[in-house]
Amino acid sequence: MNTFFAVLLATLTFGQPGQQQDQKARQGTFAITNAHIETVSDGIIENGTVVIEGDRIIAVGANVDIPAGAEIIDGNGLRVYPGMIDSGTALGLQEVGSVAETNDTNEVGEVTPHMDALSAVNPNSVAIPITRVAGITTVITEPSGGLLPGTASLINLFGYTPEQMHAGGVKMLILQFPQKSSGGGFRFGPQRSPEEREKRYTEALDKLNEIWDRAELYDRISTAYAADPNGKEKPVYAPEMDAIRPVLSGERALMVKVSAEKDILAAIDWVNARKLSNVVFSGVSEGWRVADKLAEAGIACLVGPVQATPTRGSDRYDRAYANVGLMADAGVKVAIRSGDTDNARNLSFHAGFAAAYGLGKEAALRAVTLGPAEMFGIDEDYGSISVGKKANLFISDGDPFETSTNILALFIDGFNVPIESRQIDLYREFLNRDEGRLQPVEVLPADH
Amino acid sequence: MSHLSSASRVNSVLLFGLLSIVMLVPRSVQAQKNSPDIPVVSNVVAIQGARIVQAPGRVIESGTIVFRDGVIESVGRRVDIPYDAQIIDGDSLTVYAGLIDVLSNVAVPAPASPTQRGPGQQQQATNRAFPTFERAGITPEKDVRPLLDPSDKSVEAHRNLGFTTVVTVPHGRMLPGTASIALLSGSDAAAMVVQGEQPVVFEYQGARGVYPGTPMAMMSKFRQLFREADRRMKVQAMYDDDPTGMTLPPYDAVHGTFGSIINRDKRVFAFTRDALEVHRTLSLQSELGFDLVLTGLSGGFDTVDKVAAADAGVALTLNVPDKPEWAAEVGKDSLDQILAAFDEETRTATFRDVEAERRNLEAKQLQSRARYVSMPAQYADAGVSFAFTSYGMEAKDVTSSVREYVGAGLSRDDMLAAFTTHAADLLGLSGSMGSLDEGKMANLVVTNGDLFAEKTKVRYVFVDGSKYEIASAKGGNGPNGRRGR
Amino acid sequence: MAALLFVAIQLNAQNVVIRNATVLTVTQGTLENTDVLITGGVISEIGSGLRAPRGTEEVDGTDKFLMPGIIDAHSHIALSSINEGSSPVTAEVSMEDVVNPYHIGIYRALAGGVTTSHTMHGSANVIGGQNETIKHRWGTTDPDDVRFRGAPRTIKFALGENPTRNHGRRASNASGAIVPATRMGVEQVLRAHFENGQRYMTAWDAYNAEAATNPRAVPPVYNDRLEVMADILRGEILVHCHSYRADEILMLTRVLGDYGVHNITFQHANEAFKVAPELAEFGAHASVFADWWSYKFEVYYSTAYNAAILTRNGVVTSVNSDSGELNRHLYHEAAKSQRYGNLSDTEALSLVTINPAIQLGIQDRVGSIEIGKDGDVVLFDSHPLSVYAIPELTFVDGVKYFDRFEDPDDVRLQISPSASIGAYEGQITGRDRVHDHTEVVNFFDLFSDIDFDIDSDNR
Repeated sequence: MNTFFAVLLATLTFGQPGQQQDQKARQGTFAITNAHIETVSDGIIENGTVVIEGDRIIAVGANVDIPAGAEIIDGNGLRVYPGMIDSGTALGLQEVGSVAETNDTNEVGEVTPHMDALSAVNPNSVAIPITRVAGITTVITEPSGGLLPGTASLINLFGYTPEQMHAGGVKMLILQFPQKSSGGGFRFGPQRSPEEREKRYTEALDKLNEIWDRAELYDRISTAYAADPNGKEKPVYAPEMDAIRPVLSGERALMVKVSAEKDILAAIDWVNARKLSNVVFSGVSEGWRVADKLAEAGIACLVGPVQATPTRGSDRYDRAYANVGLMADAGVKVAIRSGDTDNARNLSFHAGFAAAYGLGKEAALRAVTLGPAEMFGIDEDYGSISVGKKANLFISDGDPFETSTNILALFIDGFNVPIESRQIDLYREFLNRDEGRLQPVEVLPADH
Repeated sequence: MSHLSSASRVNSVLLFGLLSIVMLVPRSVQAQKNSPDIPVVSNVVAIQGARIVQAPGRVIESGTIVFRDGVIESVGRRVDIPYDAQIIDGDSLTVYAGLIDVLSNVAVPAPASPTQRGPGQQQQATNRAFPTFERAGITPEKDVRPLLDPSDKSVEAHRNLGFTTVVTVPHGRMLPGTASIALLSGSDAAAMVVQGEQPVVFEYQGARGVYPGTPMAMMSKFRQLFREADRRMKVQAMYDDDPTGMTLPPYDAVHGTFGSIINRDKRVFAFTRDALEVHRTLSLQSELGFDLVLTGLSGGFDTVDKVAAADAGVALTLNVPDKPEWAAEVGKDSLDQILAAFDEETRTATFRDVEAERRNLEAKQLQSRARYVSMPAQYADAGVSFAFTSYGMEAKDVTSSVREYVGAGLSRDDMLAAFTTHAADLLGLSGSMGSLDEGKMANLVVTNGDLFAEKTKVRYVFVDGSKYEIASAKGGNGPNGRRGR
Repeated sequence: MAALLFVAIQLNAQNVVIRNATVLTVTQGTLENTDVLITGGVISEIGSGLRAPRGTEEVDGTDKFLMPGIIDAHSHIALSSINEGSSPVTAEVSMEDVVNPYHIGIYRALAGGVTTSHTMHGSANVIGGQNETIKHRWGTTDPDDVRFRGAPRTIKFALGENPTRNHGRRASNASGAIVPATRMGVEQVLRAHFENGQRYMTAWDAYNAEAATNPRAVPPVYNDRLEVMADILRGEILVHCHSYRADEILMLTRVLGDYGVHNITFQHANEAFKVAPELAEFGAHASVFADWWSYKFEVYYSTAYNAAILTRNGVVTSVNSDSGELNRHLYHEAAKSQRYGNLSDTEALSLVTINPAIQLGIQDRVGSIEIGKDGDVVLFDSHPLSVYAIPELTFVDGVKYFDRFEDPDDVRLQISPSASIGAYEGQITGRDRVHDHTEVVNFFDLFSDIDFDIDSDNR
């Protein structure tokens, strides 16, 4: 669709530019009519209507009743999609990459599973609006660094407090699985010998097992104490162990960060040996090499970034683009993650590339909507445009994976969130910077 | 301070003359590894009835060689043996000209700290952008001669392999110093030196933490020194002619050395570690113009044609890459199988193809290594006359490299030539070294078989006539030493 | 050993005709169902039903899209070393000396339609070193073969956090801090070197004049660094300046204006949009990211609409990669300008074709599909500005260097004889280090005595 028209439509539909800048996100009753609706769960509805009330979708279909007093949004020529889910970012935890004071992802120590990302999320991070105006409504935000860096959370990209943002109560424990290879093709300075690398790997694996053994013991003690505290000494204060306990019972997911072929195989073995049922793998850049094993183990994978170079010099150039598709072909459940923070907004393009290089458009859309929702156990509330689910969706003038498409409206938790961000503000101000000036400026002093 | 005029070239005739004079003093007496309290009774040696390889392609199946006071007196099928000769029974022995290593650090003690290769790393007040020459690793004027130590372990290690002569340079970085040609014998530094004051060595080892650290900065620095030295020479010539009205031209030893390079009084031996450094060095040469010998050239299978066409001497490295770990566990038959099964058309589409991919990658790696190992053969085929260098490697690895080079197609004659006749030519010492001919220096290596065969041991090495018996108990450490030793 | 080279190196130009494609010429509109004939490495005819000389390679472009080979105005591929960081000014060094044709980044970019790259010195210095424009002639091992012959000389400047951190604000700085530590210092370093360059030029001009008649004229001291400054003043070297903040961008225009230098492309220039009118007036160009921001404080106040704002205000703008990952989909980076500012198809494509060509001074040779220009073209399966577009064939000088269907998986020119096989080697991702680590040889080894993480934040 003609982009000028789209922008005009956006301003007409959703308020004048000036008004829009002052607009607050608000809930209410909305009906998006006459639109091309991609439900993801139930196919495409042409000329359909979506009705939102409060934080929920209360109706979807070609002919639905529109409640009286609903704000009508004419979706003629437009499309409606479920809000996209990015399964790997550090949004809210990291502001400026090179300024350590603005980064809360990496706590001191190898064993810090109890570090809870949610409490450190900055709801006012500048990157949050920048991400959501691209149609991404929900992300996992992750700590990093060390063997057990912390506990990640799923957050909606709207809310004034981290608790308001917390989506579906989803948290995951992160395990950075020990890496067998050096992890980088070229190392600066003196290289570690193969023996030394082997030694470090074994040490790391031993440490992981020691931690886990203790956690299992701690779990037994705590469970017994909780059942009947009489005559028992209170278990020691071990917040690290408390953080691991829900993973042992399967109540909380374990997100294993792993990329290399050998490491993936080792991780599968480890997870099976520990009888962990609620596990996802994240990263998985060499997943295609062992896709059959992953499928067999039934482990869901959060794959990405897609726009990345191959992992080996001998690899085909498009391997990272094709990775997701190859894994899906082998029967692995996949979601797509950007692995980014400043540019988590590019999730749709990662998905587009994955689609082009083998995954296909439909599966790619699922991999950023219902797919991750199912993996996180929140598909009753998220991931598709279905009656009863949370109103996380956006309106666009085309395929959101395409760069020429504009995102025109956004709903998170039923809030109609304005399409505003600092970058859009800067565009407005500087497109025609000197417009309001009466006297022309001497651009450069005369003596130059 | 007055500065030295540029070094006079030492031509081999003059050298020979000097040597003759020096020979009047029985150096061989002092250098012999004999107990010092036993009197020396003869400085004539005759090896009788040996197989004598005078030079590649010139073999005497059974002959005698006689040398007196470090000079070969006669060599042939039948020669008269002087009455006062010490006779060595050459039955089952083979005699070759002593090997020559055309660039090394032999006889120069390694610097104290293992990570330090040159000028000190004092941290106080170093100006990163404008460091001293010393700090920058730019010491082309640093003469190796005072540093030579004949008792350094490297001397014996090299000699046990059959080397009699080396070109050796101080340890350092980009311009570590001026090398000398030295014999692997002598009681002190001065006694070792055959020829000093050149060549100047250049390599792409950047200064640590200061300018110039990177290859492009090193190349720029080289050009800057060259061009400024050129300017200074012209200005100095004007000043020498008539100083009236002129400021005293600046002088320092670094620019002075570059002046000698510009005049072609000193050659530049550039050490290169890969094909790109070869291209870069040739590029500098064609831009600036200087006498160049390329040394090293690991990976030089990609530059054979360019080097063949270049106006530069060549000395190939004796350093061969390690074998891949996986190959160590695989027998030779399996390796051949892997190579035979190589499929250029293979595509790795899914996880099902990963095994085949691995086999192919193994084959490619074998092919790659084969290129390194066959490099000297390729240069020989291209008609390039080259010598060898052990620069940057340990003496103990020379043996296996030699074996691999021969195994990969370098003929024994070409191998021997590289170590002897070509090396002597390269160094301008053909008049006194490189072959076993009357009048040449008595530098010999005596083995119990073909020098490059696996089980051969080195029995004796004669350097300037001095006899070194190589310990035979554990087997020789010749270039043909046994596997596993 | 021919097995290792899967493509016979054809450095001589080739004849090829691409038939019946949608030709995006960039400068002369879009031509449907059109043939493009390349002979002797040069585009010789554009039209329908062209006749090709015997032996011309035939390519069926039906339903496909042909565009000019993409030009990446900011890259660090194909270099053995990137940054001489020991001094704030090292104008004398040149990437020309360290070109590495073995680097697989050349092929990977070809697979994304790039045919020319401006491979640059790093940004740790106020005045770094000279850059090199290369063509992606993959398969040769001779550095000379990838040079873009005739391309003008260019030089790298850098302002802002990188030079000030690396020289003035280093924490464990064994050798002491050097000016600049602030943006004020950067200006003074520039002025001092331009001034000295000018005096050097004057002194040599005076000597040359005098030497014509006086045999006792004494030449001034030779200084290769000031030689390069003089060449910049003479207009023989195009200036490309890594910069971010609006104020420092203006500062450089003032300094350059003072010394009569008007060729300048601001690289990255995240805040250039704030001073677009000034840049247009000065005639300055900009080469920017599609959407990178927030990795340093000086890019915190960026906008992805930068390219669009600059374009609308009359500044010749390109989109670059500064990355061994992004350079594989610059057509996609350019396409982002349609989401962020509604640039037209031609405007968007110009960002990675004719505009960077202008900035590198090679617009007479490349950057559009026009008769007489080099045969550097890319064939896509669909419109390059679609996210689903896949490059299929890439030609440089009429030689096919990338073929999605025929090329083997492993295209390496250099295979380690001893490294372990099957090792995970890491990835470059969108937000990762700009320098592919394999490009740099012993970099930290050079600076091991100083805490000098030169690569980590030099973007």
